[in-house]
Amino acid sequence: MGEGFEPKIIAFTCNWCAYAGADLAGVSRLKYPPNVRIIRVMCTGRIDPTFVLKAFTSGADGVLIGGCHIGDCHYIQGNALARRRATMLKKLLEHVGIEPERLRLEWISASEGGKFVETVKDFVERIRELGPNPLKGSG
Amino acid sequence: MTGEMYIAEATDERIRERGEHGGVVTALLKFALESGMVDAVLAVKKRNGNRYDGVPSLITEPEEVLECAGVLHCAPVNVARCVKEYLDGAKGVRLAVVCKPCDARAMIELAKREQINLANVIMIGVNCTGTLAPSVARKMLVEEFGVDPEDVVREDIDDGKLIITLGDGSTREKDLKELEERGYGRRENCRRCEVSVPRMADLACGKWGVPEGRRATFVEVCSERGGELLKKAAEAGVIRVEAPSKEAIDERERKEREALERSKEWQERYFGELKEMSSEERRRYWFDYFDRCIKCFGCRDACPICYCKECYLEAWRGFIRGGEVPPERAFPLIRLAHVADSCVNCGQCQDACPAEIPLSRLYQAVNKELQRVFKYVPGMSVEERPPLTVITEEELRNDDPLLFLR
Repeated sequence: MGEGFEPKIIAFTCNWCAYAGADLAGVSRLKYPPNVRIIRVMCTGRIDPTFVLKAFTSGADGVLIGGCHIGDCHYIQGNALARRRATMLKKLLEHVGIEPERLRLEWISASEGGKFVETVKDFVERIRELGPNPLKGSG
Repeated sequence: MTGEMYIAEATDERIRERGEHGGVVTALLKFALESGMVDAVLAVKKRNGNRYDGVPSLITEPEEVLECAGVLHCAPVNVARCVKEYLDGAKGVRLAVVCKPCDARAMIELAKREQINLANVIMIGVNCTGTLAPSVARKMLVEEFGVDPEDVVREDIDDGKLIITLGDGSTREKDLKELEERGYGRRENCRRCEVSVPRMADLACGKWGVPEGRRATFVEVCSERGGELLKKAAEAGVIRVEAPSKEAIDERERKEREALERSKEWQERYFGELKEMSSEERRRYWFDYFDRCIKCFGCRDACPICYCKECYLEAWRGFIRGGEVPPERAFPLIRLAHVADSCVNCGQCQDACPAEIPLSRLYQAVNKELQRVFKYVPGMSVEERPPLTVITEEELRNDDPLLFLR
């Protein structure tokens, strides 16, 4: 897509796992693309679908939701709820013609700094291929 | 008791005359009120005798129930929101409510959200194969039927035909599908609606299965409470009941099946077209519509499922700079994200929309997809929790982030 397009990615990460994973990536000096802006939430179950849509209309090209692996949720099943909501959102985006791949859900534990890095790298590349979010600048 | 079927009619001559098909619904409502089973009846009444303007009315005088007798096809209201909003969710009052399938389903969805206390509500369900928007109906009566809308005393939808009765007793009929091809006929959500018999209510009443030429009501008992009301009313001599013949039951089933087939055809037409589009075309299709949104909040205020006291959309109300178009483009999307899993396709949002955005088309399309994914049909049983609030044991053993999308 467009010359010089740098994807802007909003990552919602849970306090207990994915955020700690990102932190580990940092203290381990692992390098990952600077396209991602991290917003910490206490649990992925806290992410109202509105947050994701608002991110898209405010100009995000992709939204990453990072939570604990199933079974590890600090609040028992917040991540499983997030999975259902993300499923709903993907279906919704698809119906209005926005690539559902722009929303990505991953489980990243506090010890998986490497997985965080790989996820971000891969996601940025994927979004780069998709091009700018068509909703950009509409919110 | 549940599942039992009867052919019934009111014993009171007056009620039988005024009722649509034997006056059973009217007789039951009146009986429920008189016998003290309920404190009030909620039914739709013509406003000043205008059959194109129905108002949900709270009735405490048994005689007044008669004013609600008969069906208003051209006054599509959803009473669920009234029960929640104006009657405190029936928390302090026992109600008998006349429900189309979408009314009953919306009430069940609200009950799941603790907004309606269904223990206090008897839902008297009426079969429904669709309603018409008042403005469309009036125009259609003039242009297609060549009659004065004020002259019409009755409408009926049967076997794919729209039949109207005039004041002088004469009838006119036209093929519903042909009317709809020309933009008349039923509201679009009704065309696609799959639920014509409200088995989620306490009683399901309708004309299907009643022998030709007879004015009576076919009643299916759908709950213990519904059965009790019917039994007591029969014992009190307010209604006469008899067992339906095998043919009557078969006939009713056939009509129900045919209505379902017709709705599937419409679904295919509306959704098939959208499915065939590329994602770019689909985006343009919907965002052209979304760009019309003037952010009036009409859809939210009309939606029987929306119930939050503090609305997320409300937070973005406010002033905007001169020359800018007011709406947040994603306004309809955000609402969709909040109700998509529980939408009952009642079409109130679309009716309310001054910009004529075909909201129900989008909402039902997404909801149908979610029904498949989560195996959940909204408004069928108060026991089932909304799919975005439940987790199964099985799910908690599966670590796949794309579990539902495989």
